[in-house]
Amino acid sequence: MVNKKDNTENPLKINRRHFFSQLSVGIGSIALGSLLIPDLFKSNNQTLGSKPLGIPHFAPKAKRVIYLFQAGAPSQLETFDYKPTLIKRMGEDLPDSVRNGQRLTGMTSGQDKFPLMPSAAGFKQYGQSGAWISDFFPHMGKIADELCIINSMHTDAINHDPAITFFQTGSQQSGRPSIGSWLSYGLGNENQNLPSFVVLTSRGKGNSQGLYSKLWSSGFLDSKHQGVLMRSGKEPVLYLNDPDGLSRSDKRHLLDHVSSLNKMHHVETGDDEIESRIAQYEMAYRMQMSVPDVMDIKKEPESITKLYGEDVQVAGTFAANALRARRLAESGVRFIQLYHQGWDQHGNLPSEMAGQAKDVDQASAALILDLKQRGMLDDTLVIWGGEFGRTNYCQGKFDPKTFGRDHHPRAFSIWMAGGGIKPGITYGQTDEFGYNVVKNPVHMHDFHATLMHAMGIDHEQLTYKYQGRRFKLTDIAGNVINDILT
Amino acid sequence: MAFTIKKSWSDALVFGLSVFLIFCLIFESYIELPLLVAWLGNWHPLVLHFPIVLLILTVCISLFNKNIPGNLLTITTLTSLFTAITGFFLSLGANTKGDILFWHQWLGAGLALLTALWYWLDGNQLGQHMLTKILQLSIVIITVFTGHYGGMITHGEDFLALPKRDDFKDIPKKPIIYEHIVARIIDEKCASCHNPNKQKGEYIMTSLSDLIKGGKIGKAIDLEHPEKSELLKRLHLPREDEGHMPPSEKKQLTSIEIKLIEEWIRLGASDTLQLNHLKSDSPLEALVKTYIQPDEKLSWSKLPEIDKNIIKNLSTEYLTIKRLASNNDALSLNMYSPPKYSSEMVTDLSPIAQNIITMDLSSLPISGKELAFISTCINLEKLEIDRTLVNDSTITHLKTLNKLKVLKIFDTNITDASIETLNELQNLEKLFIKNTKITDKGISRLQKLSSSIQISHGIHEDILSYFVKDSVVKSIKEKE
Repeated sequence: MVNKKDNTENPLKINRRHFFSQLSVGIGSIALGSLLIPDLFKSNNQTLGSKPLGIPHFAPKAKRVIYLFQAGAPSQLETFDYKPTLIKRMGEDLPDSVRNGQRLTGMTSGQDKFPLMPSAAGFKQYGQSGAWISDFFPHMGKIADELCIINSMHTDAINHDPAITFFQTGSQQSGRPSIGSWLSYGLGNENQNLPSFVVLTSRGKGNSQGLYSKLWSSGFLDSKHQGVLMRSGKEPVLYLNDPDGLSRSDKRHLLDHVSSLNKMHHVETGDDEIESRIAQYEMAYRMQMSVPDVMDIKKEPESITKLYGEDVQVAGTFAANALRARRLAESGVRFIQLYHQGWDQHGNLPSEMAGQAKDVDQASAALILDLKQRGMLDDTLVIWGGEFGRTNYCQGKFDPKTFGRDHHPRAFSIWMAGGGIKPGITYGQTDEFGYNVVKNPVHMHDFHATLMHAMGIDHEQLTYKYQGRRFKLTDIAGNVINDILT
Repeated sequence: MAFTIKKSWSDALVFGLSVFLIFCLIFESYIELPLLVAWLGNWHPLVLHFPIVLLILTVCISLFNKNIPGNLLTITTLTSLFTAITGFFLSLGANTKGDILFWHQWLGAGLALLTALWYWLDGNQLGQHMLTKILQLSIVIITVFTGHYGGMITHGEDFLALPKRDDFKDIPKKPIIYEHIVARIIDEKCASCHNPNKQKGEYIMTSLSDLIKGGKIGKAIDLEHPEKSELLKRLHLPREDEGHMPPSEKKQLTSIEIKLIEEWIRLGASDTLQLNHLKSDSPLEALVKTYIQPDEKLSWSKLPEIDKNIIKNLSTEYLTIKRLASNNDALSLNMYSPPKYSSEMVTDLSPIAQNIITMDLSSLPISGKELAFISTCINLEKLEIDRTLVNDSTITHLKTLNKLKVLKIFDTNITDASIETLNELQNLEKLFIKNTKITDKGISRLQKLSSSIQISHGIHEDILSYFVKDSVVKSIKEKE
């Protein structure tokens, strides 16, 4: 961690050559600069704008985000993008004019034919908005009027790891901070007893892809902004509990001494990471009390647990995590990231997806209802979706019962709800084959910009200087999609 | 001097250009420019920088009793005259001249001629005469003014104004749609290029008749087929498109602003239409309301100033106090169950009481003392006291909160007796009362008393029964 930072950022590590080269340019520009910008010498070496950290740039609509990430990429054609044309043209080859030479993965690029395969599930229109939702997700249908379904998402990556890394960090290559870390950096902790970025994972029976801690890493940001993985069961955070025989006051003494040693070290080296480390020890000490409390869903009345479905009683399921997510949100955690694995249906899509949908359908919808009855949906942004979509043609044997779908980055569906997002709308449109976006495309960077906007952050203003360059979550792109904001 | 212009030759040129300039000014209305000469006018914004610098430089040298080197004055005079003439050519392109352009033209021409006069005086060895010094000083002053007027033409009248916050102070309660809203949007986003002084595309947008009349292309607003209006077409084109307005590098209209203008045109683009003439369910009314909404945020700017040390000192590990946004003193306050709670933790917050806009004390054992404190937080807009010990008698403290918009009081023991108190909260928009002892009767009474409140008393039964199967629902209902 220490080595990660640029040495020049450390005020004590300037060599002679560096000193002179800076001095010559420095004095003149200091004189001029201080005349022009009175605030020039305020300690502010990290942000580009004058916007202070820890406070929204403007009054936000959303105070927190619950991101229900469906890892592995659920098919848009079996969730929210209804394409009756595929039923009519079932088995026909995907016209070249539609694919237009766009790349495929190595898993299907060798196929002789690309036979179109209609949705494995029926579709119905729900609510006053008349949103199309597949029969795999009847509970979501009941809350259709709360959702903003986006059918025009598109991304740059075609394989899981780069795509999910892109979704979480704004870059296909790992090493950048995750969305939750950016928000923690930009807005600070809401509750000083809990981390501002928490990760909960669960796994369905479908074909899974790996999840790595790099997805919730703070990258080059201070490590206190890193996502904290909370596990199910007795010990949500590993090694947080004290060993037997150590009293809380002993622990307090221990921490005080460690902290004084660390402070000495900090004076010596000037490394900011030491300060974060001290803060993290203190946070962990307080988390020993707060975490067991917030993660314990036994405190919820039956009326609530039933709402989330039977699975909620089983630790480590998506339903249990969804309920925990609500409790975390209530306790001031700013970004709660859930991952549900098992959506990578290269084969056996109909049965696997039915199972996956059953894992998440009721709990996702229940979370919305529960937030709403607590008046929290107004300031909580809930997001549901995967890292890309799936092809409209069949992968493997052409059999409606066992077919699969390959990766498809050109168009896919997600939904957002609450926190400043218009309810009851379907945004964007794909062509009749569900292959390309034809109206209102939403790129990953646009999605990030919109998310930041809902949280009261101008995505172009939240920057961090690292290795001589100012980084942003949205890199040099991204437009806020105003059409879906209230 | 390696480089000298023969005196007689430059004298003749200065004289000739001066005469030409005077001729132009006198016979302005009769002049029709050949295309190539009109094109010369386009050079004005480029060359004008030379005389500004040269004039100031030359005057300074002369005022310090130094000799003006070489042909500096000659070059200065020639560029001044050339700039004035090109400027004149450029101004002929404008149909009607606004005040600013008028002043810029005459000051610019005067400046060029004064410089020519100085050139002549200098040539006659009167360069160090007292009168010449006065002349030189006035040249500098006029340069500043001419430049400033020119800047106003290109960059808008307030281009040098201090950055100001976008406030909505001057929008009255019952705004006239054109005057207070549409004109305001246009003034902010369009008028810098489409005004009487700078008529891009020959289109002026600063008066209603001109706004409808349009420019080079023709009618901008089509009252018979509003959706075909050129103005709307331009606003809706993708930003990358050449024809998109405002140009992609300029400040863009927000989607609400575009919709507002669209609706206003659809309703006839009238200059008399007022907000209170509209039906309450018309889309324009809703748009206007959302547009004006920041007004409320403005009221936050009148809050007493809060020092950041006060926030720091009052905050604890269990009490988070934050500014709602970086540009005001509105605070949000959130307390997370501390290990040992005492009511002083809340009541000690009186120094910031007036600044608290949102307060979350949910799931704390708060009683009358805390509620009495809350009653002093008169600017409170959102209060969360769900899962607390609040009851019918302590809730009466809240009556003073006439700015309160959102109240969360679910999972408490309040009953129908609290309806009176709730009804007194005039600005209440959302009320959350699931799992309280308020009955259906009480809810419908409150709804009748103040129809605008959105009351949420739990998940709708039909939906609940879909999520929680049969027998379970009943038992839950009974429990509650």
